[in-house]
Amino acid sequence: METRGLTKRYGRRITAVDNLDLAVRRGEVYGFLGPNGAGKTTTLRMLLGLIRPSSGRARVLGERPGAPDGLARIGALVESPAFYPYLSGKDNLRVMARYADVPWWRVDEALMEVELQGRAKDKFRKYSLGMKQRLGVAAALLKDPELLILDEPTNGLDPKGMADMRALIRELGSGERTVLLSSHLLGEVEQICDRVGVVRKGRLVAEGTVAELRGREGLLVRAEPLEEASYIAARLEGVEEATVVDGTLRLVADPERSAEINAKLVSAGIRVSELRPAEQSLEEVFLELTGRETV
Amino acid sequence: MPPEVRAQEEAFAEQQLNALLPESLLSNLFGSGVFGIGGAIALIFGALAAGSEYGWGTLKSVLSQRPGRLGVLLGKLAALGLFLLLFVLLALSAAALGSFAVARLEEAAVDWPSVGELFRGFGAGALILLVWGSLGFALAVLFRGTALAIGLGLAYALAVENILATLPIEGDTFERIRKATLGENTLGLSNSFGSPFPEGFGVPEPLVEPERAVLVLSAYAVGFVLLAALLLWRRDVT
Ligand SMILES: Nc1ncnc2c1ncn2[C@@H]1O[C@H](COP(=O)(O)OP(=O)(O)OP(=O)(O)O)[C@@H](O)[C@H]1O
Ligand SMILES: [Mg+2]
Repeated sequence: METRGLTKRYGRRITAVDNLDLAVRRGEVYGFLGPNGAGKTTTLRMLLGLIRPSSGRARVLGERPGAPDGLARIGALVESPAFYPYLSGKDNLRVMARYADVPWWRVDEALMEVELQGRAKDKFRKYSLGMKQRLGVAAALLKDPELLILDEPTNGLDPKGMADMRALIRELGSGERTVLLSSHLLGEVEQICDRVGVVRKGRLVAEGTVAELRGREGLLVRAEPLEEASYIAARLEGVEEATVVDGTLRLVADPERSAEINAKLVSAGIRVSELRPAEQSLEEVFLELTGRETV
Repeated sequence: MPPEVRAQEEAFAEQQLNALLPESLLSNLFGSGVFGIGGAIALIFGALAAGSEYGWGTLKSVLSQRPGRLGVLLGKLAALGLFLLLFVLLALSAAALGSFAVARLEEAAVDWPSVGELFRGFGAGALILLVWGSLGFALAVLFRGTALAIGLGLAYALAVENILATLPIEGDTFERIRKATLGENTLGLSNSFGSPFPEGFGVPEPLVEPERAVLVLSAYAVGFVLLAALLLWRRDVT
């Protein structure tokens, strides 16, 4: 799955997706991370051919988005699950199976996979939020798809449901299958995904494994003069790397050595005003990547 | 009672009875306004067929399964069409059964209209319902829902059409507009089966000849379907 310069504008003011280049490799579990309104759902809709890009293009499983040959190999749950309220969960899946052109026995298998078989005969309108969500995932699984697109699949699930869903997604993504999962929870993505792309205001602002996004263990140093500090620190024992970023010195080093490093810098005539572990919480990483302002 | 009046009344009663016999099956059915009301019902069903998918948000679920947009549209239209054809068949059968019962009770002769006439009746009824049904369908796609589509559709069918038909305006342009309306063409086609009412009680002559009505109504139906197809094909599904 690949996009080039994918853009979607709504009217003049809103650019929901802005020149997005995204590449998901076959077989990986890719996390699409971003805050509310970042353009995740809009992107997924474009990949399914539900909405037309304003510009740019996308290929999904080698097909144009929305082409029946491609859709036949994609399972998707976009935003809230929508089904016929007066039909049972099972009948809804039967209808979808008919549309998807898959054999009827896939319905029972899919229900089993999301553990909904106990309530399969109840009307969709009587389902709880979590049960609706599960049915949505079941519908995405009907085709036993090569590519699974899930938009915030743990939305509305209870803690056990979330844990189950994450385990299910991990399992689904363990084989050949490619999974593209959107979320605004870095913790969730970290548990499930091989790689993460972070979007903010429709743009891809970071991409990599969660560990890469978190950054390696290190120290953050404010010191004067900075260039000299960097030169000295880079030669200290136990410091793997020293770089100057935004007027601070970042060291890739074991935080336990901070006192020792501090002492050596000071004895070399450097004035150190701050030295602390650069380890960030997931929240901090997320906020830093996606910005603190709200939509 | 003077004998002339009595004779008139008897003639009237006989005409009324004749109108209920199998031979006037079609004029009775089309004159009774079943297809006027049927048109409104077809409009509602058309709007429901397309609009509910928007209301429940199920269009995206359906479209992301596999079928192309035009496939979904054709499937829905086929289902709607089949349903409306059944409706016509049902109306015809019910009318036939009723007239047969009347004939038996009155011990009158059972003379059915010719097979060709019956087919023409079925076709005319089907065309009328399909036009109104496709209007409802197109409106529902246009407004992405049932409520507005049904509201506006019925307001047009019941209010606008009536006002147009009864406005005391004469003149070529206005007559041309009238001749182009759905209602006037529906009437033109319905009334081609004769009036169930005795001479003098009949509704005014329709403006449109049946042949022309068939053409105009078919054009409308095709137009509505094309409009729905274009909208569904072009627009974003959110
Ligand atoms: N149909 C629409 N018309 C106008 N603007 C829209 C439409 N759909 C989405 N937007 C705008 O596009 C932007 C991105 O929305 P989108 O739903 O893709 O965000 P998201 O990343 O899925 O957010 P969330 O985490 O809340 O689901 C938002 O600013 C939203 O208001
Ligand atoms: Mg979203």
